[in-house]
Amino acid sequence: MSAALDYTRQEMMAIATGREIRDGELAIFGVGLSMLAGFFAQANHAPNLRSMTEGGVYGATPVGGLPWGIECNRLAANATSFTSALDALGFLVASGRCDVGVIGAAQVDKFGNVNTTGIWDGDIGPHYRPPKTRLPGAGGANDIACGAGRFIVMASHERKRFTNKVDYISSPGYLDGGDSRARKGFVGGGPSAIVTTLGILRPEPGTREFVLDGWFAFSSVDEIKAHTGWDLRVAPDAREIPEPTATELANLRRVDETGALRKK
Amino acid sequence: MPNKLISLAEAGRRFSWDGMCYASGAALPVGSDALVFGRELLRQKRKDLHAIFHCCGQQLNLLAAAGAATKAECGFAALEVVGFANGLRRAVESGRLALEDYSNLAMALRLLGGALNWPFVPATVNIGSDLQDRSAFAPDAYPSREKIPAITDPFSGKEIGAFSPLKPDVAAIHVTLADANGNAILLGTEWSRFELSRAAKRVVVIADAIVDPGCIRQYPNLVRIPELLVEAVVYWPFAAWPHSSPGMYDMDEEHMFFMNKALASEQGTADYIRDFVESYSDLDSYLDMIGRDKIAHLSDSVSSFLLDPYRRWILPADEVARLTAPDAGSKEIAA
Repeated sequence: MSAALDYTRQEMMAIATGREIRDGELAIFGVGLSMLAGFFAQANHAPNLRSMTEGGVYGATPVGGLPWGIECNRLAANATSFTSALDALGFLVASGRCDVGVIGAAQVDKFGNVNTTGIWDGDIGPHYRPPKTRLPGAGGANDIACGAGRFIVMASHERKRFTNKVDYISSPGYLDGGDSRARKGFVGGGPSAIVTTLGILRPEPGTREFVLDGWFAFSSVDEIKAHTGWDLRVAPDAREIPEPTATELANLRRVDETGALRKK
Repeated sequence: MPNKLISLAEAGRRFSWDGMCYASGAALPVGSDALVFGRELLRQKRKDLHAIFHCCGQQLNLLAAAGAATKAECGFAALEVVGFANGLRRAVESGRLALEDYSNLAMALRLLGGALNWPFVPATVNIGSDLQDRSAFAPDAYPSREKIPAITDPFSGKEIGAFSPLKPDVAAIHVTLADANGNAILLGTEWSRFELSRAAKRVVVIADAIVDPGCIRQYPNLVRIPELLVEAVVYWPFAAWPHSSPGMYDMDEEHMFFMNKALASEQGTADYIRDFVESYSDLDSYLDMIGRDKIAHLSDSVSSFLLDPYRRWILPADEVARLTAPDAGSKEIAA
């Protein structure tokens, strides 16, 4: 039985993210966790997934372990096409062709806005000042957030990360909620889920505020609320999310052959 | 056929000056980056650089840590799985370097705009976020209306944004293969090296290997940077080290982490510059510095087969050295 399976929270997060990706879709992954989730989906239930990276590596699955980066030889050794950022993020994402993207977040707020730029001590204020802690920046995530049909945010579920309002919007979610994103006219639909190390949050229709949709077997509503920086509401049909099956876990571990997700 | 091969030191002298707008990188951090040109900029004590890097690699990390760059624009400012870019981070957090944030598509589009001599590029990304509202170069303007100003699409009437085009003074572009004339083949993704080669006012290519012109004529479709854009060619194996170069060598994991750790402090940076920037005098001593065993190990890459079609045209090092002799620039090569 799956209850007897030993798996980490990171593995559960990757599997839950992978389940969001459907067979036949055109998908774009970032490096690290999101790539593992995407390649897991391809190995597990989406054999016809068409994947690309934002630098324009197409048709590749990693060789010899988790790639160090998007242009890493572990992907370059198994690609069917090399193009460019303009092609991948522009012709295929900004155009509206890409179905789904997966991005990470240092901070995410109740409307699914993502900060990967920096952490400030309080409001930045009207005068821009350097962050207390500088983070990687928007990268391709802003382009995915603006252009992909939908996107999934992956984040470690900690109170400091799940904040009422992010310090800096690097990648737009539903902005101020309601129709504020729609009024910007982005080709992409916005975040469909925030998959965390504890459960899954989804946007409530209308308000576009993220509410709890499900918790993992090792978690609970109370634990998730305690680790969320806004007053998280629970969807009426929220439920426990099925644990990984033995097949799912085996498929994930085949992709994660260096065990990046196995570290507790 | 003109021979544009010059030494790295000469390229540094001829194609850099204090305060210039310098573009390089143009690949994600662990991919190819003309890193050795950045080392040369430090050897020549360049300062006050305005750096344009599609993504920050170890080159920008090093230039920022050393205090040589005071302004930078990029899309991604870390080293992917290797971690945050400690040198850049330190320079930004201390206020020594102003980092203007864009997204990765924005950087490619701005280079495209520069290449096409467009007055601006329509922006459908970066708008509606703090990438549009916040400017490190004009910190008092909030929300900023200069960085990515809102404009009206004349056809639909919708509000979009405008990106400023980029026209760097000099681009040092890492390529896998080039002939002595500057025709270049890039293995792996280009990121925005194609656009950059057209946007920059002056282009130097830094090649891991020099090939016979026959190679270029065999694969003209793959020559994404033709010689007419290129002013100089530098032959420098392991030019992207410790980054990877698809087909040529893998990332040097040990040195990537070592270097980033060193750049996290002033002292570490000074030690790094002493040991890995100022310590070599020529190509041989550069390769000795990396370590011959390490070079053999990194060259044994899962991607090596990508180079197979081109191997027969790669010129031996001694022939390239002869072509790079001080007076070789005036010689014509039989093509």
